[in-house]
Amino acid sequence: MLLPDLSFLVIQFLSGLTTAMFLFLIASGLSLIFGVLRVLNFAHGSLYMLGAYLAYGLVAWFATAPGKFWVAVLGASIGVALIGGIVERTLLRRLYGREAVYQLLFTYALVLIISDVAKLLWGTGQLSVSRPPILGGSVSLFDQVFPRYNIFVIILGPAIALLFWFVLHRTRAGRIIRAAALDREMLGVLGVHVDRLYTAVFMIGAWLAGLGGALVTPVVTIVPGMDVEVIVNAFIVVVIGGLGSFWGALLGALALGQVMSFGILILPRFSLVFVYVLMAVVLVMRPWGLLGKPLRG
Amino acid sequence: MAVMQRLPWGLLALAAAGLLPFVGSRFYLYLGTDIAIMALFAVSLNLLLGYTGLVSFGQAAYFGIGAYACALLMMQASVPFILSLLAGGLLAGAAALLFGYFCIRLTQIYFAMLTLAFAQIVWAAAFKWNSLTGGDTGLTGVPFPAFLDSPARFYYFTLGVVGISLAFLRRVVGSPFGRMLMTIRENPERAEFIGVHVRWYELAAFVLAGFFSGVAGGLFGIFNHSVFPDFSYWTKSAEVLIMTILGGMYTFFGPAVGAGILLFLNMLVTSYTEYWPLVLGVILAALLFLFPGGVLGFLEAHLLRRGHREPRGT
Amino acid sequence: MRGIRVFGVMGPLTFLVIGSLCAPSLAQQKPIRVGFPIILSGGGALFGQPALTGAQMLVKEVNDKGGVLGRTLELVTRDSKGTPEEATRVARELVLKEGADFLVGGLTSAEGIAISAVAKEQKVIYIAAIPKTTTMTEPGKLHPYVFRAAANSFTEGRSGAVFMAKLPVTKIYTIGPDYEYGQVVTKAFMEWLKKLKPEAQIVGQGWPKLGEQDYTPFITTALAAKPEAVFSTLWGGHFVTFAKQAKPYGFFEKVKLVTAGEGGSPETAMALKDDLPLGIISNSYDVFYSHPVPAHRDYVERLKKFTNQEFANSWASTGYIAMQFLVEAIRKAGSTDTEKVIKALEGLTIDSPIGKQTMRAKDHQATRGQFWGTTAKVPEYPFPIMSPVQYIPADDLMD
Repeated sequence: MLLPDLSFLVIQFLSGLTTAMFLFLIASGLSLIFGVLRVLNFAHGSLYMLGAYLAYGLVAWFATAPGKFWVAVLGASIGVALIGGIVERTLLRRLYGREAVYQLLFTYALVLIISDVAKLLWGTGQLSVSRPPILGGSVSLFDQVFPRYNIFVIILGPAIALLFWFVLHRTRAGRIIRAAALDREMLGVLGVHVDRLYTAVFMIGAWLAGLGGALVTPVVTIVPGMDVEVIVNAFIVVVIGGLGSFWGALLGALALGQVMSFGILILPRFSLVFVYVLMAVVLVMRPWGLLGKPLRG
Repeated sequence: MAVMQRLPWGLLALAAAGLLPFVGSRFYLYLGTDIAIMALFAVSLNLLLGYTGLVSFGQAAYFGIGAYACALLMMQASVPFILSLLAGGLLAGAAALLFGYFCIRLTQIYFAMLTLAFAQIVWAAAFKWNSLTGGDTGLTGVPFPAFLDSPARFYYFTLGVVGISLAFLRRVVGSPFGRMLMTIRENPERAEFIGVHVRWYELAAFVLAGFFSGVAGGLFGIFNHSVFPDFSYWTKSAEVLIMTILGGMYTFFGPAVGAGILLFLNMLVTSYTEYWPLVLGVILAALLFLFPGGVLGFLEAHLLRRGHREPRGT
Repeated sequence: MRGIRVFGVMGPLTFLVIGSLCAPSLAQQKPIRVGFPIILSGGGALFGQPALTGAQMLVKEVNDKGGVLGRTLELVTRDSKGTPEEATRVARELVLKEGADFLVGGLTSAEGIAISAVAKEQKVIYIAAIPKTTTMTEPGKLHPYVFRAAANSFTEGRSGAVFMAKLPVTKIYTIGPDYEYGQVVTKAFMEWLKKLKPEAQIVGQGWPKLGEQDYTPFITTALAAKPEAVFSTLWGGHFVTFAKQAKPYGFFEKVKLVTAGEGGSPETAMALKDDLPLGIISNSYDVFYSHPVPAHRDYVERLKKFTNQEFANSWASTGYIAMQFLVEAIRKAGSTDTEKVIKALEGLTIDSPIGKQTMRAKDHQATRGQFWGTTAKVPEYPFPIMSPVQYIPADDLMD
């Protein structure tokens, strides 16, 4: 094909950035949970789906209220965080210290259960949420148009990353989380309430997944099966960035977003194979990912 | 109790299975064939999971490769069935050698993720490579070989192949090689310390598991008259993991029992409700909390009071 | 959307109720059992549930009028879970354990192929309700026991070409999910278009993977190729996602869209509401607001009552018509003997709710067309409909 003009490349880059920010929201929580709890949460995609369904439910509930979308996003993400907290406190914690495969399969059991519960509550139809009016249209950028909502997402992603940078690096809680990711045994010795920490981290991870799910509703269809679609991509992101690394999730998401965006220009029909090859290559060359650290304990 | 311990359970089960065609229902023949194939798949996975302590989350890769290779050789190169089946296993084993070489250098969750990535590559290749694999609509019209062209014959043949494979695997895990795998599971550092080439053992186990998964896949393709990319999808890998845990990963026959229970339950539950995922999820969760040793593990520990569970913590 | 939700709970319930109500009245004779494997869980349930409901409604109607050959019809359903191996499993179970005399149903192409293989193995008739893959009925793959009541990928692509050829455009871009359905429909579209309008050229093609969540890069790439029109084979929820993402790019103002894959179905419109782009040309299995034959009006009313929905579901027609073929064939054969019913099915013409349909003897493919039209906003409904809309029979589009 002809060499594309610059404005097109910019738009394509911004498209990739939008993709990346949605990936980041789900992958960062997945990575955070793995970093501290050492649990690879297969149900993270299900939490994301729950966020989407809850957001839909809330938008429908507040049918005419102004700002209903934002209330729904907030409510849905908090709802998912609470659900995550309950699951962690009542069930997941009993499996710490057991073989990794038990934890893996427990989160897979959650995938199965949540998918059917969502079906019981919301049915199997295609559900859709409109963009909030304020972010409805698009703006002109370099002779091209770009959707307002996507700009909002591109701004929101780094804002959340910044918030987490602050929490992780400037607060006591954040230091504990980072310490936990490095060496879990030390924490108990230092008198940290490890179980509360685990619940909190799981809830934060779930909140991020719920937030991602709620925010994605204006640009996708909410259908059964969206949980499975998203979890594999999230895995790829955290593997590339480094399991357990919050910043790795950001970098991985940015990388995968651009690979998807520009990959289709170079190899239009091989994205399906390519992302898994990318994942395998990273694992072979540098199993702990671009920004992760080799696991201890 | 002592009698119960000494009974050759494997042979008894095989003999009982041999009587199935006399029950008279063709449906149960198909179910039996299905269970036997999945049993082989699950036991082969357990060589990694239960015996070597390696969580393979991509065993469906070798199942799929075996299925495609066997079916393609029969359909396109007119290779006799038995040879195709063997070749399917060998090709799956070869793929396991290649992928395993990279996988065994990783530990724990990284190992699981890399096996998953490789399996997804196999799935994506099968999905995309239309000219060879038929893409998402798969290979169709794979025939039962002429000499097995009745459900009962195919059932007996499957039983034979699975029986021989399980007997072989049983010998493997009972051999010094198998003992060494368990030592590696319990304490890889110590194994390394006493001069064992841990990776070499792990790779050998990976290839063996790949070979038998491939044989199971080959059988499954013929049994279904078709091969689809789904055979290698990650949900298939999860399914066989569930079978293994359900039956008990620290017993040799546990995974086979798990395969039987899961397929039978699936048949039973889906005839009443479409909420099978919910039922399976609840069963799985309950199992993990209440019977972590799996059904056979529980039976062995509580009924047979055998209590030896393939040695742990040696 | 409340209407659709009802399916989830009501589907199995209605089935039980029908089974128990009808059995005693005609109990003297063994019922005719029809196995109906279809996706009822996961992503495909969206289409599987209403297809099943359509089949259930037909069964109820037939039984209310005294059944077939004095015997009641009984539908036995199983969830095929969207995987071909599970479809194989349940199809065998339905025939051998549940004693199904016939198989009807199936959703994805792979499932259709899997059930077709069981039909051949067990020498049982299988009428595919939804699978569109041409692989199932092409020479070499076709066997005496498989029939398709659904439209196939060829006719769908060719219908798209007919509409595209009428537009004053020559530079065309195609976008479709990269798997068999998308590939075959797109190919059929391109070949037919070449015949109808040789000067038309394809300026580029986008192939997102099946189940893609983010079409943004494909949208911008398509626009950069500066086509005058786009032909899409994104279906169901994929189309909804695509439309939502494409709209703010001004996609639908810049190019004329012709889309297969039931983008114009009332369900898609109800999901998207005001987000559904207007002026696009699309198709649907059925639409409740247009009546190609007078009987359709009545069918829509009955379906609304049966499902307790405000708007009749378009996917229900797939299950309804597939079952109708079977029932009419049994009547014509005067027997449930498989060989006789096969003979009766070959060349059978039925009066379906959307008009006459013929099951061709040569390839066991029904002359099933689809509704095509242009999306528009009308005051009567809270969501866009296709207006004008017409039923395009497949007769002229088939080889």
